[in-house]
Amino acid sequence: MTDDTPQRSGYSLGRPVAPGTPFVDLIPPREAGEPPTGSSSLAKDLRRARALRKRQVKAATHGSRRTAAAPLDRAPEARRALRQYAKLDPESAVRAWFAAHEWQPVAFQEEVWNAYAAGESGLIHAATGTGKTYAAWMGPVLEWLREYPGSPRRTGAPPLRVLWITPLRALAADTEAALRAPVTDLGLPWTVESRTGDTSPAIRARQRTRLPTALVTTPESLSLLLTRSDAASLFDDLQCVIVDEWHELMASKRGVQTELDLARLRHFCPKLRTWGLSATLGNIEIARDTLLGVAADGRPARGRLVRGLVPKAIEVDSLFPATIERFPWSGQIGLTLLPQVIAAIEEGRSSLVFTNTRATAEIWFQALVQCGVAWADRIGLHHGSLDRAERERVEDGLRSGELRCVVCTSSLDLGVDFTPVDRVLQVGSPKAVGRLVQRAGRSGHRPGAVSRVTCVPTNALELVDVAGARDALLAGAIEARPPVERPLDLLAQHAITVALGGGFRADELYDEVRTTHAYRDLDADEWAWVLDFITRGGEALRAYPEYSKVVEQDGVYRVTSRMIAMRHRMSIGTIVSESSLTVRYVRGKALGTVEENFIARLRPGDRFTFAGKPLEFVRVRDMTAWVRKAPSAEGAVPKWSGIRMALSPELALAVRVKLDEARRGIFASPEMEKVRPVLELQAAWSCLPAPDELLIERTETREGHHLFVYPIEGRLVHEGMAALFAYRIAQLGPITFTLAANDYGFELLSTERAPLDEALEHGLLSSEFLFNDIPASLNAAEMARRQFREVARVAGLIFQGFPGAAKSVKQLQASSGLIYEVFARYDPGNLLLRQAEREVLERQLEQSRLGRTLARLAAGRVSVVEVERPTPLAFPLIVDRAREELSSEKLADRVRRMAEPLERAAGPAIPRFANLRSARPRERS
Amino acid sequence: MNDAVTVIAGEAVRLLAERALYWERERALIVADLHWGKAATFRAGGIPIPGGTTREDLGRLAAALRRTGAKRLILLGDLFHAREGRAAAATLATISAWRAAHATLDVLLVRGNHDVRAGDPPDALGISVVNAPHLVAPFALCHEPGVSPDGYVLAGHIHPGYVVYGAGRQSARLPCFVLGTRGAILPAFGSFTGTMVMDTRKTDRIYVVAGDEVISVHREGIRGA
Repeated sequence: MTDDTPQRSGYSLGRPVAPGTPFVDLIPPREAGEPPTGSSSLAKDLRRARALRKRQVKAATHGSRRTAAAPLDRAPEARRALRQYAKLDPESAVRAWFAAHEWQPVAFQEEVWNAYAAGESGLIHAATGTGKTYAAWMGPVLEWLREYPGSPRRTGAPPLRVLWITPLRALAADTEAALRAPVTDLGLPWTVESRTGDTSPAIRARQRTRLPTALVTTPESLSLLLTRSDAASLFDDLQCVIVDEWHELMASKRGVQTELDLARLRHFCPKLRTWGLSATLGNIEIARDTLLGVAADGRPARGRLVRGLVPKAIEVDSLFPATIERFPWSGQIGLTLLPQVIAAIEEGRSSLVFTNTRATAEIWFQALVQCGVAWADRIGLHHGSLDRAERERVEDGLRSGELRCVVCTSSLDLGVDFTPVDRVLQVGSPKAVGRLVQRAGRSGHRPGAVSRVTCVPTNALELVDVAGARDALLAGAIEARPPVERPLDLLAQHAITVALGGGFRADELYDEVRTTHAYRDLDADEWAWVLDFITRGGEALRAYPEYSKVVEQDGVYRVTSRMIAMRHRMSIGTIVSESSLTVRYVRGKALGTVEENFIARLRPGDRFTFAGKPLEFVRVRDMTAWVRKAPSAEGAVPKWSGIRMALSPELALAVRVKLDEARRGIFASPEMEKVRPVLELQAAWSCLPAPDELLIERTETREGHHLFVYPIEGRLVHEGMAALFAYRIAQLGPITFTLAANDYGFELLSTERAPLDEALEHGLLSSEFLFNDIPASLNAAEMARRQFREVARVAGLIFQGFPGAAKSVKQLQASSGLIYEVFARYDPGNLLLRQAEREVLERQLEQSRLGRTLARLAAGRVSVVEVERPTPLAFPLIVDRAREELSSEKLADRVRRMAEPLERAAGPAIPRFANLRSARPRERS
Repeated sequence: MNDAVTVIAGEAVRLLAERALYWERERALIVADLHWGKAATFRAGGIPIPGGTTREDLGRLAAALRRTGAKRLILLGDLFHAREGRAAAATLATISAWRAAHATLDVLLVRGNHDVRAGDPPDALGISVVNAPHLVAPFALCHEPGVSPDGYVLAGHIHPGYVVYGAGRQSARLPCFVLGTRGAILPAFGSFTGTMVMDTRKTDRIYVVAGDEVISVHREGIRGA
């Protein structure tokens, strides 16, 4: 049989299986008159069956949202094919199935199948669209075929054997279809279903009595299954857990939740195999160890790391304005390049325009819709705050090729492949190499196509980012994603989950959670604290008789109150959304959500733009902002808070290298050529820093004395460092600073001249006392108070309620800020407070990266340059600060006023300051 | 303690940093929204809030009574947060001890929405209970703010807060007194209570409680959100 396998299209040449590709899309189109590609009658039969089924499916699902795999056995050809598969041994059957799709198993897929058969676990890493899904999925399929040879049984479906965990609910349906395809074709008696927050009550009810053979689910829904009192027996036949997009989960508390769930499942089924699918990461071994947990000897559990196909070539290029003089020196929106972006979109069939923030996406969408192109009615907008129905509509439009262009944020980084997309644009700095790879991979899914991403710089310096990103990409410098360590809020939540799901003994669960990577170092005191927290409401010494959440009886911890059980099930998970309001038409549908802060500033009758639509604000009622259509787009675009993305360490390093090349007169890419006049001006007025050099510029303007410091290490580190410098300099004598930071450096502005030299002598760059100086220099308490919101939500201190909740629930609602204050005052030793502080330092200030940066700077040399006026590197910092201080109208005037003397000083040959009106976000005037 | 002294409805009143209002002529201390036993209610509901809030609130109340030498205490509703907290033995013991130390004090509760569900305080506490509005000219004592033909309304319920903006994008949300032309709203007395930033009228006078000071907020230079 293998000899008959069509050889024409090798895997790497043919169309690879993309995870989540709807099954019927997998059949390659055959030109009329083209000879059939295989000589095998099986292949022919199956192709014919498939064509037939494609028609049937089309007829059956016409108008429905997704194309699902229909039962194969309606077609007589398929029945014949099925009988033929049944005659083959398992390996040949799978090969034949691949062949019927004109693919051929590749080495890494076979490696995984063999490893799976040998009882191994592991992690598969490769770019999207290279066949990871079936690498993981065919292991369990082959195993079944081996265990139950012969013709397919017609008896009922076997109980749960495989769990497939996906981070996105939206992915579940497509994954389900892709998994079901070989199951149906090869005649396995399996059922494949998904269970997520979107699953209908009817299916949930059926799953309550019987789970499918293979279940596609999210970490949250899996935790919910674990709260069932019969949890242990649900997983009796479980063979394997496959975690999709592990790179997305691992660096978050959802990843830790997955780790805990996996530990639980391994406790139920000690022979369980775990396979992860991941994009390539800088710390892929850690990714594997995090997924597979810790073995009994305390070392990482053994597991295989399988590298998939080498990713397709990625091409990075940029758009430039017609004349460099039009290039802004600062700015984040980049509408200056609108004509070039339109031209780029018109080159392709279907384009994705990625932006870094939701507000930018809204602005670009408006600009494209209003620019008068013929395809203005075929532009979509997609970001995380839009209503789900609207997002799905846009996704469908992309899949069908109906939409010419979609402006989106990271909301489309993940998920199914949109085959028609052949052009990807990135507005603004990509900020990280991995993100650029991911986004580039959204294009070029047709055979032979390269993935291409075109960057749309929004200011001159972002050209350096693009040039650096290309170098880092070639060097394979992909970012690492550090996993989360020991979050106690989540451990408390998980302990209650287990207490509900049959109960636990303290020492047994302690041993179990220590098999996860996240809690491998959990000490007995911390565990005792968590147990006290859930059983006594605090430390043992100050027990409260009225408190009872988890009850200990004969050494077993259980939840006995139905109310507690229900509330816990309602609030499982770690995702905390900003307090936001639904935006809804007075008569009609919901559009999405915006933050409360934004709505609070609106008065009835005010206009704003959201979801790409001009709206008039009517009123707020029932946590809903009611709006009606406005005749024209005007007014504000909502902003969403959230940590602004900072340059990754890899990209920051690449940028420092590019600046050093420029210093040495090397401008070896179109981007660097374009930005050359700006960098040469920087060199003339001040200097370009060498890799081991920290450049500090000082100057005096009407505003006061400025210090500009350029560690080039990303915004978050700079924010922390600016506060640290201000604090350390102020130790020498009273002085007040105003701070500003961006990805290249930071500014300290003061009314009197700062004693910089003295501060440098006194260890301004010292890593010593960092742990004292950082909290002292920042309003760390206030930041922790805000971070506590997430901790309080995960640990079950805030209950958000649910529709129709009784009054008795409402009286248990308090804001996290209030709870934080009560804890800080009456239980200052509470470990959850410590956790909030730790999360602030690590996540918001990147404390360890800050420490490493200080060490790097201290090892190098410091150049202090007195400059006559702000330099090209300094100017964006001044503008950013002004942006925060002033209303938009004044800002434009003020920037123009600031720019004029600089332009005059630079002479006629240098870049002019750009049209800042178009380069700034539209703000409410 | 730095109080503010002002006049409402022709009566001299003192706005205390303890988040209470002292009516000089009647020698009455007026407070709103004590929410006794709120933390205990949360604990009974499975949310581990540490204890100590009610005890501290009683200490603050005692301090305000001592400082003013008040003969009467008027509570503008929401005395107990909920039935569960009211039943917590430790909380009730603390309250009884406080009451025993102020045995001669005349205490009046105007029922609020929480009191309706939580039930009237135990008789042993010796608190008279009336429905809103309770008229003591020129004031109409209520829980929920509103306008009354019978007098100037003193109320709570809202837990009013005010956002004060400082230099460098700093801001602080503080409990406040809102003194209008026809009624006043007191800050919530209980320390385990939040604040709500409310829409105020131009004619309202706002006094924020900042630590141990009560400060009149002038509209110029300070924005209310």
